[in-house]
Amino acid sequence: MTSEEIEKRIAELGKEISADYAGKDLVLVGVLRGSAYFLVDLTRKMHIPFAIDFISISHYHDQGEGAGVVRITKDLDLSITDKHVLIIEDIVDTGLSLGYLLRNLKTRNPADLNVCTLLNVEARRIVEVPVKYKGFDMPNVFVVGYGLDYKEKYRNLQFIAEFDRRKETR
Amino acid sequence: MGLITISREFGSGGETIARLVAEKTLFLLVNKDTINKGLADYGIEEPDASLEKLATEEESDQFFQQYVEAMHDLIYDLAIRNSLVILGRGGSILFRDYPPALHVRVISQFTRRVQRIMKIYDLNSETAVKLVKEQDCNMRNYYRKVFDVNWTNLRPYDLVINTEKMGLEDAADLIIAAYRIHAEPREMRDSAVPAELENGIFTAQAGEEEEKFMHPSEEEFAGMLDFYRIRWQYEPRTFLLEWDSEGNVMEAFSPDFYLPDQDLYIELTTQKPKQAWKKNRKIRRMKELYPHINVRLIDKRGFESLLKKHRLDEDEGEES
Repeated sequence: MTSEEIEKRIAELGKEISADYAGKDLVLVGVLRGSAYFLVDLTRKMHIPFAIDFISISHYHDQGEGAGVVRITKDLDLSITDKHVLIIEDIVDTGLSLGYLLRNLKTRNPADLNVCTLLNVEARRIVEVPVKYKGFDMPNVFVVGYGLDYKEKYRNLQFIAEFDRRKETR
Repeated sequence: MGLITISREFGSGGETIARLVAEKTLFLLVNKDTINKGLADYGIEEPDASLEKLATEEESDQFFQQYVEAMHDLIYDLAIRNSLVILGRGGSILFRDYPPALHVRVISQFTRRVQRIMKIYDLNSETAVKLVKEQDCNMRNYYRKVFDVNWTNLRPYDLVINTEKMGLEDAADLIIAAYRIHAEPREMRDSAVPAELENGIFTAQAGEEEEKFMHPSEEEFAGMLDFYRIRWQYEPRTFLLEWDSEGNVMEAFSPDFYLPDQDLYIELTTQKPKQAWKKNRKIRRMKELYPHINVRLIDKRGFESLLKKHRLDEDEGEES
């Protein structure tokens, strides 16, 4: 996906979200770290007031084999009770971590809770998660760029590209 | 020799009735099992072949003819040495010219049969309706092809029992009484009433032992679900996929995981696509028979990318 395609799609999403949330108390929740680039560019295309907050959770591979459960490593600073909450993701694939986030945030009684993701990989889905806004549907390939990394590299690429891990030299 | 033939509509309870009659009379029960075991001596190498299916496939004509002839020879030979209760297999037609034989047909209304099938196989109504229709159709085809008779014609039977208004045990007693009247002065030896009425009927339930995974990948997957606090059960349910005309289960399928909160079954496969066709076929059949059950196949490629993502490479940034 070229930077032009991404920019165009994000502009459309910004417009759509602005229309849907006009007059509502909106909190955008960015999921660290991948969604940072998307969140910044998306909000620049929005023309309604909103608040921004971030959340981060631990991942399966952070733990030893079979150890522990998912937990929040950086919680929201704002209260989302009775607010209209939109979770901003860079990519939704298995739905496992997003599913946990949704369950967690729902307990804080927001007015409503929706998801916006730049990339959606339905082929990898394990648990169903409601995705209201999505930039692009993608096949089951590994990609980097525009916030998506491989070992923390390539996040800053302005485009999104398939990444061949076999050719990566360490 | 004594001879009772029992033909029945699928889901009418005829199998149980035939077993009860055989137990009470000490006659030898001839059903699909008996025939499959006996057929090897008659030169049939594939006794498990589903006759009703064969009957609908024109290509297998020659084998089919051979199979049917061998089966008939076997039943006649058995009848020389034993008193028999013949369940299905066209027994009433094979022995229609043998006056001492009592020919029984067990019937029941379509809806009642569906209810019964739902109960004994733990199916939803849609699946059960489909199954009963399928079996009725197979039965009609079989009778037309092998004997050139109309399956729905009740005239050739000495006794027709409707199990809607009668328990299966009573039906068995009625058949025995009819047989006595019919074939007097044949000797009948009463035996004790068997306690297990529905004995041997397959119910779909998996063992409740400690979770023992068949494959390391399943254990890994379970660990991941645990991590994300997703409740799961390991192979909690077996779905029946194929039956023969006597209700014997020919094929079943137990998906690896059930996620109760998602109401979702998950099957993992680490087989290469070439070997996974059998699993794919089972899943297709399952979706056909159980359209309301959500089942998802995670194939080798999907599973590998999952493991890679979560294990080998650290923080790839997928899902943030």
